[in-house]
Formats: sequence, structure tokens, C-alpha cells
Amino acid sequence: MTRFQVVVLCVTLLGGLFLAQQAVAEEIIGSVKVAQGEATIQRGEQTIDAAPGVRLFPGDTLQTGADGRIGVIFRDDTLLSLGPGSELVIEDFLFSPADNHLSMILRMLHGLAAYVSGKIAKLAPEAVKIETPVGTVGVRGTRMLIRIED
Amino acid sequence: MIGRLLIAMAMLSMLCACGAPRNMFVLLPEEDGSVGQITVSNEHGQQTLTQPWQATGMNSANQAPQVPQEMAPETVKELFQKSLSAQPLPPMHFLLYCTADSVELTEKSKRQIPEILAAIKWRDSVDTSVIGHADTAGSSVYNLALSKRRAQAVGKLLIAQGVNPDILEISSHGERDLLIPTPDNVSEPLNRRVEVTVR
Repeated sequence: MTRFQVVVLCVTLLGGLFLAQQAVAEEIIGSVKVAQGEATIQRGEQTIDAAPGVRLFPGDTLQTGADGRIGVIFRDDTLLSLGPGSELVIEDFLFSPADNHLSMILRMLHGLAAYVSGKIAKLAPEAVKIETPVGTVGVRGTRMLIRIED
Repeated sequence: MIGRLLIAMAMLSMLCACGAPRNMFVLLPEEDGSVGQITVSNEHGQQTLTQPWQATGMNSANQAPQVPQEMAPETVKELFQKSLSAQPLPPMHFLLYCTADSVELTEKSKRQIPEILAAIKWRDSVDTSVIGHADTAGSSVYNLALSKRRAQAVGKLLIAQGVNPDILEISSHGERDLLIPTPDNVSEPLNRRVEVTVR
């Protein structure tokens, strides 16, 4: 390879790495603000200790033990907190108002939750769904509490 | 007679508190006293809550959601205390304004930058968004680019003052997300803004 070709290759690789990082940054959907006791995030095979500052990605499962609590805030300003013995999967989160891509789907398996809706519920209430083993919740700009003891 | 009524009412209210279904959904009032709405449905039925402190629920997936009942706020707060106590603070919103067709901040908005820096520090924010907007003067394509440059300019300003670039989400909504609705091609200073939300 000529020197020129090597330079072009390096620039392309670096550019690709930069873009990949940007893509990862785009996927962040929220962060942990409060965590007490046993509180974790299950991400695929990984179990991550939930602590203030930990970032959230689609597909994350929030879990609390018998003494755990966790409070998170999403990119669209939704507030979600869980009491002890809870498990909730963030099935889907899309907040791109510029191209009208809006979606929030949470699946609460069990526990105690407090929820304050954010911009997705304001812009597209039908795009927000909270699924539980006993029923599905639709919202219209709202604060609510859910207990699942199924 | 009255004695019996009182006892019956007391028993009913006890039932309402400890007879609460295992699975419960409660609608709360907003901070300003207004209220939203929730609908709970499964294959056996559906209920809609429209009043603050209304609750519905069921003991299993085989039951339809119960007819909404208004609960005592104190009872609700007690039942859900452990999840409510972990609720994060709502985000802090800042509105910065730009002069026409530019990314320059107004003098007044420049003076808000220290407040934003302090908020980011105080909240230990790892997720702060900087969203650029434009008024409808000019084409929508032009305004998308302008609002993007506005957001980037504010982002640069914050980073220059020590904010970790990793925590910033810089985006733009062009002329799509007007604060003050106007027809096309209207110069409106309040729409030429950058919204900074510190979470």
C-alpha cells in the first residue's frame, strides 16, 4: 500500500470509531438517580450494580432485592422508581420528536412502582404502554402507582 | 340506628383498605392539582381512572379490573411509600434565546450559563440535553441546520466551562417544535431558543 492509501485507511478507521461512539451515545435512554440496598440492572448476560450515574439502554431490566429501591429518569423526563422486590423491563424507548419516533414500553413483572410521565406521553400518549402480568396500562399525561403481586 | 350505620361504614372502610386487590393501579394528581388518566385492561375487561386517588386492580390475570374506587391519600402513600421514596427529582429546564438568524445568545441568556453549570454540578447530571430550535422565518431545511448550530454552540460553551462532553445530548428540532405557534416565515424571538434540560 502506498503511504497515501495507509493514511486514507487510518482516517477511515478513526472516523468509523468516532461514529460508532456517537451511535452508542445516541442509544442512552436515561440514567439512575437514586439507588439503595440491593438494586441491579440486568443487561443481557451482565448484572450491573445500579448506582446514581449509571446509564440505561433499551432492554435493561431493573431489579430490586428485599431491601432495594431504585429511581431512574428517562431522556424524555419520565420518572420511574421501584420499591423492594421489584422487576421491570424497559422493552422499548424511542424519543426522537424531530422525526416523530416516539415509543415507551415497560413491562413490569412484580413489585411496587411510581411513575411520572414525560414528553412521550405528552406528544403521543398512545405510544406509552405499561404491560403487567394482569393487564396493560395506557396513559394520558399522568402520575401513577402500580403494585403487582402476581 | 346511627350506631349501626357508623359500624357498617367503619367496616366498609376497613375492607376498602385491607381488601385492596393484590395488583393495584392508582392515579395520582399532578403537582399543579390537575390530573391525567389511565386505562387498565386485560382480556376480561377495562377500567379508566380519571380522578385523583382512584384505584383499580385485580387479584389475578383471570379477573377483570375492578370498578374504580377512590382511596384515602394517606393509605395510598403508606402502601407505596417504598417506591415513592426513591422517586428522582424532576429535571430542571432552562431556556436560552438567540438573536435572529444567528447562534449568538442574547445578553440575558448569557447570564444564565452559570445557573446551568451549577445545576449540572448539583444534580450530578450524566444526562443533560441541549436542544436547538428555530422560528419559522426561512426554509425548514435551513432552520434544521440553524437550530443544530445553535445547540452545538451552547454545547461548546458548556464544555468550555468544564462540563464533561459525555453527559451532553445535543440535538435540534428545527422549526418543528415551536414554543409560540406561528404561521410559516414569521420571525418570533421566543422560538429562537435552545432548551437545556438538566436531569
